[in-house]
Amino acid sequence: MSLPCHSVTVAVLSVLLSPLALPSFAQQPVSVPGTKEVIGLAGVKNKTKGTLTVDKGFLHFVHSKVKAELATATMTDVITGEDSQRAIGGTLGTLTMFAPYGSGRFLSLFRTKLDTLTIEYRDDAGGLHGVIFTLPAGKAGAVKKELVAQGARTSIPVQEGSDSQTSKPPSPTGEKP
Amino acid sequence: MKRIRCAGVGFFLGFVLTMAPWDLRAQDKQQTKTKVAAIEVLPIVSDEIKLPAEFRISLYENLIDQLQAGGGFQQVYREGDRNVQDAGDLVILHSTVRGFKQGSERARQVTTVAGATSIKIHCLFTDKNGKPLLDQDIDGKVRFFGGNLRATYDFAKKVAKVARNNFSLNAH
Repeated sequence: MSLPCHSVTVAVLSVLLSPLALPSFAQQPVSVPGTKEVIGLAGVKNKTKGTLTVDKGFLHFVHSKVKAELATATMTDVITGEDSQRAIGGTLGTLTMFAPYGSGRFLSLFRTKLDTLTIEYRDDAGGLHGVIFTLPAGKAGAVKKELVAQGARTSIPVQEGSDSQTSKPPSPTGEKP
Repeated sequence: MKRIRCAGVGFFLGFVLTMAPWDLRAQDKQQTKTKVAAIEVLPIVSDEIKLPAEFRISLYENLIDQLQAGGGFQQVYREGDRNVQDAGDLVILHSTVRGFKQGSERARQVTTVAGATSIKIHCLFTDKNGKPLLDQDIDGKVRFFGGNLRATYDFAKKVAKVARNNFSLNAH
């Protein structure tokens, strides 16, 4: 039994080219729709919802026609955290506060978990900036991992093997004002 | 008729004499304002009290926004900005966290009276050489509506007001 010549060629080529295929697989962009920019991103209004993407050494934030990007090399610190928000938010959420028989307060008990992503970066003139994003729960760890892999620095190292790793915010200690 | 006119003149003179000291005091207040053109905002220091990163950044960004919008400065510089070296009549803002209590938005919405977030920061305004010009403890609070980070907005608004009341623009 002899193998056809072209089958052997394909097999050899696939073995030889497989290392080249791996990096392209590893550099698939991380994209998180439903991200909210809370504050700090130049050119984007506060509390804007959009899609956050990490690709080719840049963090992109896109909301309809508004686009902003940050080079990962300019990021001096990337920190993740956890938070929660009302399940029914916005104007409707505020209006429910006035609903009769305390039903608005009851609705406040229903909350959705979310992750926070805090980034410190320097602009072209060397000025310090900060930006805060909130992301769907469990996504911040993967974004941080990708940012660090593409050149961002962090004061809290990324833990291997946990995509949803978040750094717990410090316990609120301090004197009562 | 003459009496009424005399009484009117007397009343007017009395009014003018009563208001004069107020006017002089207002002028004094304006004269005590330090003349500055630009401000450099240094990062929030929280060595003794642990402050979550999002609060630290939100404080800083809100400070920059509010000072630009209503601080009365020609230019607001961020820490590390190389252009600050060319700025004349510069004032530098140092902020140190003195107290922080992270409340709960859920508790605020459910109980109304509990869950307030508050933050107290010592603000020191110095000149370029480090000479103190003004220092004050300023707090930021959120009691009813809004997320915890709203306390940082409240703080920044108050800082801008303090700056506006104590410094006047020295236009070149």
